[in-house]
Amino acid sequence: MTSAPQFDPITFQVLWSRAINIADEMATTLVQTAFSTVVRDNHDFAVGIYDAKGDLIAQANQSTPGQLYCMQRVMKDLLETCPSHTLAKGDVLIANDPWLGSGHTPDIFIATPTFRGDDLVGFGVTCAHHTDIGGRLAAPDAREVYEEGIIIPITKLYDKGQPNELLFQLIERNVRIPHRILGDLRAQMAANHFGGQRLVEFLDESGLDQLSDLTDAVAAQTEQNMRSQIAALPDGVFENEIELEEEDPAGKRLVICSRLEVRGDEIFIDYAGTSPQVPLPINSVLNMTTAYSTFAIKCALTPHSPNNKGTSAPIHVSAPEGSILNPTFPAAVMHRTAIVFYCVQAIFQQLAAVKPDRVMAPCGTYPLWVERFAGKDHEGNPYVVAFNAQGGQGARFDQDGVATTVFPANVSSTSIELLEAEAPLLCDRKQLITDSGGPGRQRGGLGQEVVLRNLAKDDALLSLSGGRFHIAAPGMDGGGQGTLGIIRLDGGSPEPRRRQALLGQDGTALFAYPGGGGYGPPYERDPAMVLDDVRKGYVSRERAETDYGLVLSNDGTAVDTQATIRKRAS
Amino acid sequence: MSANHRYRLGCDIGGTFTDFVLHDIEAGSLQVHKVLTTPADPSEAVETGITAMNGGGFLAETEYVIHGTTLVINAVIERKGADTAIIATEGFRDSLEMRREIRYDIYDVTAVYPEPLVARPRRVDVPERLYASGKVRTQLNEDAVRERLRELADDGVESIAVVLLHAYANPDHERRIAEIAADVAPDIAISLSSDVLPEIKEYERTATTSVNAYVKPLVERYIAKLEKRLAAQGFERGLYMMLSSGGIISPATAKAHPVRLVESGPVGGALAATKLGSEAGFDSVLMFDMGGTTAKSCLITDGQIPIAGTYEVDRVHRFKRGSGTPLGVPSVDIIEIGAGGGSIAAINDMGLLSVGPKSAGADPGPICYGRGGKIPTVTDADLVLGYLDAEFFLGGGMTLDKAGAETGIANQIAKPLDLSVREAAWGIHEVVNENMASAMRMYVTEKGGDLSIAAVVAIGGAGPGHATDFARRLGAKTLLIPRGAGVYSALGFLVAPVSFEHARTHITNLQTASADAIQQNFAELQAETADVIRDAAPDAELSFTLAADIRYTGQGAALRIPITDDFEPAVLTRAFLDAYAERYGNAYDDMPVQIVTYRATSTAATEIPALALPFSGEDINGALKGVREAYCPLGHQMISHHVYAMDKLPTQGNLAGPVIIEEESSTLVVGAGGEVIIDRRGWLVVTLADEEPRS
Repeated sequence: MTSAPQFDPITFQVLWSRAINIADEMATTLVQTAFSTVVRDNHDFAVGIYDAKGDLIAQANQSTPGQLYCMQRVMKDLLETCPSHTLAKGDVLIANDPWLGSGHTPDIFIATPTFRGDDLVGFGVTCAHHTDIGGRLAAPDAREVYEEGIIIPITKLYDKGQPNELLFQLIERNVRIPHRILGDLRAQMAANHFGGQRLVEFLDESGLDQLSDLTDAVAAQTEQNMRSQIAALPDGVFENEIELEEEDPAGKRLVICSRLEVRGDEIFIDYAGTSPQVPLPINSVLNMTTAYSTFAIKCALTPHSPNNKGTSAPIHVSAPEGSILNPTFPAAVMHRTAIVFYCVQAIFQQLAAVKPDRVMAPCGTYPLWVERFAGKDHEGNPYVVAFNAQGGQGARFDQDGVATTVFPANVSSTSIELLEAEAPLLCDRKQLITDSGGPGRQRGGLGQEVVLRNLAKDDALLSLSGGRFHIAAPGMDGGGQGTLGIIRLDGGSPEPRRRQALLGQDGTALFAYPGGGGYGPPYERDPAMVLDDVRKGYVSRERAETDYGLVLSNDGTAVDTQATIRKRAS
Repeated sequence: MSANHRYRLGCDIGGTFTDFVLHDIEAGSLQVHKVLTTPADPSEAVETGITAMNGGGFLAETEYVIHGTTLVINAVIERKGADTAIIATEGFRDSLEMRREIRYDIYDVTAVYPEPLVARPRRVDVPERLYASGKVRTQLNEDAVRERLRELADDGVESIAVVLLHAYANPDHERRIAEIAADVAPDIAISLSSDVLPEIKEYERTATTSVNAYVKPLVERYIAKLEKRLAAQGFERGLYMMLSSGGIISPATAKAHPVRLVESGPVGGALAATKLGSEAGFDSVLMFDMGGTTAKSCLITDGQIPIAGTYEVDRVHRFKRGSGTPLGVPSVDIIEIGAGGGSIAAINDMGLLSVGPKSAGADPGPICYGRGGKIPTVTDADLVLGYLDAEFFLGGGMTLDKAGAETGIANQIAKPLDLSVREAAWGIHEVVNENMASAMRMYVTEKGGDLSIAAVVAIGGAGPGHATDFARRLGAKTLLIPRGAGVYSALGFLVAPVSFEHARTHITNLQTASADAIQQNFAELQAETADVIRDAAPDAELSFTLAADIRYTGQGAALRIPITDDFEPAVLTRAFLDAYAERYGNAYDDMPVQIVTYRATSTAATEIPALALPFSGEDINGALKGVREAYCPLGHQMISHHVYAMDKLPTQGNLAGPVIIEEESSTLVVGAGGEVIIDRRGWLVVTLADEEPRS
C-alpha cells in the first residue's frame, strides 16, 4: 500500500478541491473551444491533470469513465515511449491506439507536459471522442480494426513548439471533415495549455515544489477507503454468466462468464470462459474491460471518493487473451460498449446480494447508442454528425430508474436544434415511450422514441449503433424487464442487427431506445405510485392492471384499494 | 429637489424577515427597520413595515421604492408556483423531462434529478414546425392551439410556457399562440421562449421559459398588490424591482421576465458589499449574508460583482453542479445554502447532530419567537448561548422566549446526545457554521480566491453573530461589519442603477457580413433595451454597453467580446483572435469566425447616494449598554461580555473581545482575543485572534 505523505485535513481538502477545479476548468475550456457536437455538446471526453510521474492528481467531474480510467494507462505508456527526461517545453504527445488507450480509434489522447521553470511538474491531459477518424464511418459490420480509421502510435504532435507536419497532413488526408477534427485537436491542446498554466499558478500559490506528494496522499486515502469497504464485505465467490444477443460467425450467442471473488481487502474479477473474440466491431480491449469492471466496483463501494490509482489498486481484473473482453490485434473494436457494458451488469448482479442498495438493475442504456450520419448538405458540403440519445436506466433499490439518461458511460444527448442547424436532418419527434420501463417495486427508467429524416437530395450514409434488439434489460430481485430497442428504416420491419445503410431524400430512421429493468416485485409497488405513473403516461392503464395488479375506480381517477389488494393476493 | 423627492426606500423580502432602509436625501440619514415576512401575502409585511416607520407618512415624499424579493427562488425551491403548462412543437413535449441525458455524478447510482417543474400531463404539443433557418416547414395548426388552450384553461392552468423548436430564429408561431391565448384564455399568463431566452438549444430554453411561466402569475399578483398597498399609503412615484444581475427595472418588465428576479434579494447585499469593500480599501471581499432561511456568499474581486450568464436553481444535490435546472439569464454569481437563523436542528439517522437545510421560516419560526414553533433552531441556540438578547430582538420589537428555547434544546438535542443544554446549543452553532464554511470554502477555491487577504463582509440578520467562528473556519483574518448589516441587501438596492441586458442569437459570419448589418442588429437590441429603461426611468440619460459572443464557426461556445463603436468585421475578428490567444494560448487565423449572440445593456445615469451611516457618538462609554453572560468556546463556559449599542459608538476607538455590539437588525459577537476598530465612516473592522482553526 502506498505510504501517505502528511497534510493537515483542511490544507489537504483545500489543495485537492483546487486541483479538481483545475481539471473542471480544463473541461470547460475543451467544451468551449471544441468544434464537434460530440465533444462540445455530448461531452464525450475525459480530462485530467497528472503529476510528473504520470499519476492522476484530479479528474474533471464531467468525464466519461472508460476514457478516464484508460488515461492512467496511456500516461504510463506515453512515459515509457517518451521518458520524462526527453520531454521539453512545447512538446505535445498524441496517441489513439485502441490497445493502449480506451479501446477504439476515435478516442484521441493528447498530453501536454507542463514545466515550471525548467522542471517538468506534470501534464494536462485530454481524451476526446472525434467525430470521424476515417475508415468506414464506424461501420457496424467491420471485421478488423483496419476498417476503423487511422491508428496513431505514441508520437509527438508538437516537438518543442514545432508542429509534426507529416502527422497533421496524414490526419487531414484520412478523415471526412478535417477542419472539425483539427479544430477538436486544437481544442484539446488549448485545454491542456490552460490546465498547465493553472497548475503552475497552483504550485506557486500553494508553496509546493511538486505535485507527487499531493497525488500520493490522495491515492493513499482513496486506496485505504476502497480496501476498508472491500474488507467490510463477506469473503466469497460470485459467479455469473450473461448471454448476449451478439452472435459469433456460426450464429451462436456470445457469453460473458464472470467470477468475482472477495478476499480480505481485495477483489479478483476473472472472465475465464467468456467467448473468443469475433470478427465484429464489438470486442473490448483489456483496458476497457478493466475500466468498466473497476467502475462497477467503485459505484457500489466508494462512489464519493476520488478516482485514481488508489481506486484500482485492490481490484484485479483478468480476461483470457483472445476473448471478446481481451481481444488481440487486429480485432475490430469500434462498438465495444455492446460487450463491455455488460461487465457492469454482471458485477451489479453479483453485488446485489451484499449491496442491494448500491447497485442498479440492468439498464436500457447498454450499449451506448450513437448514430452516425454522413453526407452532403444542401450546398454540397460534406457533413458528419453523431446523434446521441439514450434509453432508460435500471431501477434502484429505493428509487425508480432514471428515464433517458446515460449509464455507465457519461455523455450528453444531442440537442435537436443544434443537430438540425448542423446537418440536413430533421427530427419528427423525440418523446418518452409509455410502458418501456421494466415493472417493479421500483420501476425501470423509460426509453424514448426518435425519428430522424434526411432532408438532403443526397443519400445520407448511416452507421447504426445501439442494441438490446433481442434481449431486453432484465429486472432485478423480482423486477420485470424493460422494452427492446428497435430501429426501423423507412418504416420497415425492425433491423435485426446494427448495419450501415443509405437513407434517401425524405427517408426516415426510427430509433426506439430500450427501457431499464425494474427492481423488486411489481405487486409491491405502492398503488398510489402506479396511479401517478398512469396519470403521467409512464404506464398505460392496461399494464397497470396486468403488471402491477392495480385496479382503478370506475372513472379511472383513483385506486380501488380493496379490489387491488384482492387482485394482488390472487 | 422638490418636496416629494426627499426619500428613497429599499425593501427586501427574505424567507423570514422583510427589511427596510429609508434614505432621507435631505438629511443625509438612513433609517432601518425589520419585520417578519408574511408568506401568505408578502406585500402585507411591506405595508406593516412602512406603517411602522414614521407612520408611513414619508411615502408621499418618496422618490422611489426599490424592491427585491426571494419570492421567485422560494416558489421554485418549494414548488409553490402556478399551475403551469407547456405548449411544445408536436413530438417534443418531453424536452424538459429528458434534460441533457447526462449524469451529474459519474459514480453515484442512487442519484436523483429535479422533478420537472411542469409534470407530463401538463405538457401538450401542437402541430407546427420550423426549420433551423426559421423558415416554416409546417404551418401552425391554430385550431389545435385553440383546443389545447381551452382544455388547459378548463383544467385550471394559470400559466403557460410556449417553447417551439427554433423559435429563437423565428418567433412568429409563438407570438401567434400568444395572440390566440389572449382571445380564448385571457386569464392565463403566457411566457414565450422567443422573449425569455431567444437562444438555440431546446432544453435550456425550455427550462428557463418554464421557470418564468411558473412564477409569473405569482409575481404579477404580488406586484399588483404591492402597488395597491403603496398607493393606498400615498406613494405614487416609481416602484423598481431588483434583477439578479444587479440592475433595477420597472414592475412591468419584472412581471414579463420574473425569471430574472431569481437572485433579486442577495444581489443587493453583493452590491453594497462591493461598495463597502472599495471604500474600506480591500481588493477582494467575501460577502457573507446569513439570514433566517439561507446563507449566501459572493466573492468580489477588484470592485466588480461577478455576473454569470447562466445560473442553476433547485439543485437536488446541494453542492453538485448539474443537479439543478439551468437558467440562461444573467445573475450575480453567488453560492447559497440552506443555513440561517431559522435552520432546524435535529438528530439524524446516524445519531449525529444535523442543522438545516430545512428552516422554520417566519411562521411558526424558532421556538423562542413564541409563535408555535416546537423544533429548536439556530436562533434558539444563539439565544441560549447569550449571543442574542431576549429583550432586544429587532430592537426590542419582539421579546424572545429564552426558557422555551432552553427546554426545546434540552429535550430534543441535549438529552439524546447526553450533553448539557449549553454544549448542545454550541453544537448547533458550530454545525451550522461548518456547513456554511465547507460550502463557501469550495466556492472560494473554485474562484481562485485567497481568504487570508480578503475581508469577510458579514451581513444579514444572523451574519454578524456567526461571522467570527465562520471566518475562522475559512482562514480569514479580517471582518467588516457595516452599520445596518442586518438590512444590508435592502441598503444595496439604493445603489443599483436602472439597467437591463437583452441578448439574441443571430449567426453572422464575419468574412461576409458588413459593418452596417452588424450595427443594425445592435441598434435593434439597443432600442429594445432603451424602451425597457425608459419605462423605468423616462427622463434619465442612457448609456449602452454592447458585446458580441464570437466564436470560430462550428465551435459550441463563444467568447464575449466588448464592442465599442467600430463594427467593422475585421476589427471584431481581430478582437476575438486576441482574446482567444489570451485565454487559450493560441489563436488560429485559418478558421472562419462568426458572431453568435448580440448583447446590449442599457443603463440609466443614476446618482448613487453615499450610503454609509457614519458614527457620531461621543465616547465609547456612552455606547455601553451593560454586561451579558455569553458562551466562550475556548473555555467552554459562560463569561461576561460587554454589550455596546452600535448606533451610539463614537467616531473612533477600539474594543477588545469578548464583546457584543448590538443594533436593531443584528448582533455582532467577538470572542476573547478579537479586536474591533471603529471606522468613523460607518463600519467596524474586526481582526480575529491568531489561532489555529478549529475543526
